[in-house]
Amino acid sequence: MSRGNSTSSSLTPTDDALIAAIRNGDERALSHLYRLHWPMVSHFVLQNSGSEDDAQDVYQEGVVVFYEKVRDGSLELSCQIKTYLYAVCRRLWLKRLTSKSRFGVRLLDDEEHGPYLNTGAEEDLLAAEEQDRRFSTMSEALNHLGEPCRSLLEGFYLLDKSMQDLTIEFGYTNADNAKNQKYKCLVRLKKLFFAHYKEEPI
Amino acid sequence: MMTEADYYALFEAYAHGELAGPARANFEARLAADPALALRFADFTEMTGTLRAYGQRQATRQQLRGMHAAMLAAEEPAAPATTEEPAGLTHTVNPMLRISRTERRLRQFWSGHRATVGVAASVAVLAVFSTLLGLDLWRTFNTKPSLYGYTVLRREVERIKKSQKDLTISLNQFGRSSSGAAAPKESTISGTGFALTSEGYLVTSYHVIQGADSLLIEGRDKQRYHAETVYSDVKHDLAILRITDKKFTGFGRLPYAIKAGQADLGERVFTLGYPREDVVYGEGALSARSGFEGDTAFYQVSIPVNPGNSGGPLLDERGNLIGVVSGRQNDAQSAAFATKSSYLVRLVDSLDAAKSGVPYHLPRFGQLAGAGRPKQVAKLQDYVFVVKVFE
Repeated sequence: MSRGNSTSSSLTPTDDALIAAIRNGDERALSHLYRLHWPMVSHFVLQNSGSEDDAQDVYQEGVVVFYEKVRDGSLELSCQIKTYLYAVCRRLWLKRLTSKSRFGVRLLDDEEHGPYLNTGAEEDLLAAEEQDRRFSTMSEALNHLGEPCRSLLEGFYLLDKSMQDLTIEFGYTNADNAKNQKYKCLVRLKKLFFAHYKEEPI
Repeated sequence: MMTEADYYALFEAYAHGELAGPARANFEARLAADPALALRFADFTEMTGTLRAYGQRQATRQQLRGMHAAMLAAEEPAAPATTEEPAGLTHTVNPMLRISRTERRLRQFWSGHRATVGVAASVAVLAVFSTLLGLDLWRTFNTKPSLYGYTVLRREVERIKKSQKDLTISLNQFGRSSSGAAAPKESTISGTGFALTSEGYLVTSYHVIQGADSLLIEGRDKQRYHAETVYSDVKHDLAILRITDKKFTGFGRLPYAIKAGQADLGERVFTLGYPREDVVYGEGALSARSGFEGDTAFYQVSIPVNPGNSGGPLLDERGNLIGVVSGRQNDAQSAAFATKSSYLVRLVDSLDAAKSGVPYHLPRFGQLAGAGRPKQVAKLQDYVFVVKVFE
């Protein structure tokens, strides 16, 4: 880790190189990006009556949006990464503030981050919100599923364990049994998931 | 009949590419033909996709949290190091990251609550000042006019002038401090006084000689005498002085008598005094037999008086002394006050009874009755003096 730090901080890769590295799953590149823009967002949130923890939440959410777009390959960046992140985090924090405050909210902006309006952050955030809603429904559905279905599905899909490991872990006689159990669980999950997910208005 | 779970097994096998060539083609054909199956397959894909993405999201979160922790951990020891090589920084470093934990909390509190704090502070300030102002107003409405409206009439030479002179004197004396002869001190306060007996007793107002170090009496002919305070009556604002100079022989016969009784309302009265360097005559009428705030030891007279008039004699038409000018009211038109002469007589009598020092021989008969006013004044002015006070 320390070796990785030294290499990533001594040479500053351009945005393109960074995005390419992150797309290829380079953890050091993501870590470098994370460190690079953290002061900006933390300063912004602290300036606008947020706490250190708020800043961390907002920033991580913003980075997740960015990261997932990069991994998808669906990121269309019309500006610097810095500006994009700033716009995303700014939008996220504004939303939180308005939901907390009874009054209208005015944000203090750092001038150096320039025009943050045409960054595509708005649309990306809408998509991300939709995704978040899907995830929270899924999490709720998983919670309602009950054991051992939940652990089984989480083990297979979330934690990426192999069917063999799960067979041993849950004490099934063979892998086919475990598979059948998994399919049954999936059927139940499907009912719970779509019951919640579809009825909610968009 | 296939159960839902069986379908899922099929779907998964297809998605993983585990189906053999013909089975695969068969499945794809069924998907195209059967919309219910297609929908079921779409739901399955969406669900498993969401599950996987959810897992990935959680992993990403975990990763970022780890990065954040690592960053914070790296920052603590790195903080002193960064000051050594600031050129290596590629972005503006947030100064908030380098402050102590308590201060950070304070700053957070401040940035979060500054609006509230500001409002609270302004409310507090407003409350305090309105309370103070309100109390003050209430008090002024509820109390009788106090001594604020009353001005004693001694003349104060400006302090600036004095300090300036002191400066000049000390400058002049600098370097020849042992020369001995000290420059004469300027008097800071002056008033008026008049002769009480021919033996050298004088009367003035107490507030003129209040706090006096030494007294100097100066007549119209610029003859100066040293004097000392014999007795002072604070309540009636009277003071009796005595000339202490050896060469002083006496005033001679006083032209006025001192009236022991009360004067009448509406009597024409006049006074002589030294509000300036020269003697000034003022006349008017006796307008009330009580003074400021109903004080019966005083008359109210309608004579325009000025600082320096204090201690001057108040005489009636026949030239009898009926009072000693003392002060005036600020907020009233030409309302001056004078101590009644009866109190002066009583004071002298009590001093006489105590038998201390030279006896008092008050003038019994005046010589001014019937004379015209200019003649009266001409005779009188030799017995009216400036009282100069050195503090």
